[in-house]
Amino acid sequence: MRFFTTWSLIFLFRKDISKARWKQELGMAEIISNKGRMWTTTGIVVGGKLYSFLEDILFLAEIGALHLLDDEDKCIPLEDIYKKVAEGVGGSSWESFEVYRHLKSLGYIIKRHGVCWSIKRAKSEKSTSLTQVTELFSNIKINEVSKIPVFDVYPPNSNGNPPTKKQIEDLEGQYEGILLKFCYVEHGRISFFSFNQIELPVLI
Amino acid sequence: MLTRCSTKCELRNPYVDYCVSQSYLNLLTSDPSYLCFSFSLLRKIIKFVSILKVLMGPRWKGKGSEAKALQNPMSKTISDLQSSLIKSNSEGILSGSSVLLATNPDQTDLLNQSCFGRPIITVDKDKQWFQLTLEEAFYLSFSLNCIKIVTGDSITKTNKELWDYMISKRVNFPDFFKTYSHLRSKNWVVRSGCQYGVDFVAYCHHPSLVHSQYGVLVFSDENRNRNGNGNGNGNDRLRVWSDFQCTLRLSGSVAKTLLILYVNKNGESGFDSLSCLENFSVEERTITRWNPERCREDQFVVEDCNK
Repeated sequence: MRFFTTWSLIFLFRKDISKARWKQELGMAEIISNKGRMWTTTGIVVGGKLYSFLEDILFLAEIGALHLLDDEDKCIPLEDIYKKVAEGVGGSSWESFEVYRHLKSLGYIIKRHGVCWSIKRAKSEKSTSLTQVTELFSNIKINEVSKIPVFDVYPPNSNGNPPTKKQIEDLEGQYEGILLKFCYVEHGRISFFSFNQIELPVLI
Repeated sequence: MLTRCSTKCELRNPYVDYCVSQSYLNLLTSDPSYLCFSFSLLRKIIKFVSILKVLMGPRWKGKGSEAKALQNPMSKTISDLQSSLIKSNSEGILSGSSVLLATNPDQTDLLNQSCFGRPIITVDKDKQWFQLTLEEAFYLSFSLNCIKIVTGDSITKTNKELWDYMISKRVNFPDFFKTYSHLRSKNWVVRSGCQYGVDFVAYCHHPSLVHSQYGVLVFSDENRNRNGNGNGNGNDRLRVWSDFQCTLRLSGSVAKTLLILYVNKNGESGFDSLSCLENFSVEERTITRWNPERCREDQFVVEDCNK
């Protein structure tokens, strides 16, 4: 299902190719020319400019919807973008990217948790917060108008073992009100799990 | 008769190997009193052998698959892949718990035929990108010596550095890698078994031609029981009987035999060191259910021809 969706995206973006310039000091890309409706829900606005994390960039580069340029306006090849992810630039990781790509292909709007969607004043400490390693992605269903996340995704392979009851309770307490999904990535396969507290009805 | 207890069996060529009990063979060939068996007994034996073939042999997908597999032995495909990758000085990018490899069209076909990695869909016209697991990448780099692995900074990692890195990602990587390379060196195709709740699944040829026969679990030497909570098998799997029931049931539902590969470190003390790898050995055991109602292993009922 993901392959079909990705291919349809590739065809969609054949002509609308956006351009972004890589900002090494931020670990993010500044979007120079944005084509397509996706930019209303992708990226962060800081001081009137649109910036994007590496996973957004790589996703769009893979499907041919974006050219990433260096300081000399030369196109950075896919191989070099993969290498940036390998280095963990901007708090990215391959496993996080796999989860991102999977959900994005399905139509979810994905943001890094705890990062503001728009920041009016571009102070230097704000730039630091943009590149902060954040724990979770926030996912929003694409049809929702409001910007309250529907659920948060616990980072892939954070511990190596499935979460204990205590860890689940701690996280639920921390992110109260938002549904949690736990994500496990192995050998390219992504699995999501919910641990829902319920109360069984008393039957007659 | 198929021995359906927990027995030691060596993975042999699946095309020719059926476990036929000595008792049947002896009865049919040695004792003259059994020579006058009836036709109904003959029919039973033929039916039994055909069932046995279905149970024990590889389950090929469709007509012609078996012939196609025989014409394209896996050993040749891997050998061609090895030459091609060496020729192009291929490099994989180490990223998290995966290695990304770019391939030309020939290498793409060979990787697909030998089932290494998963293709990544991109618009890159010049290359096809593959995502390899740590075991696959290390096998290509260390065992087959046909790719180099670099970091995001384009620095080539030595085998020792890779080994240490992969252990840092997964503590039991040595055991997993030993079993992966053990199966691959016998030309079995090995894929991830996480869909089926096992560590690997093993096919005797390409998954498009044959269903996988074995669901593989990796058990380490009992002395390597690090956390002290595991059982005598030195692992966290199959700790209690319900684990056996669960795993066997699942394997049965997907028509795979549960194969346990025990990795023995054979007295190696520094078991995390790469040089110790060659001194490890792997023992193969299957776990299957024995149903006393269905098979009468030691009781052979013969129609008395004198009746």
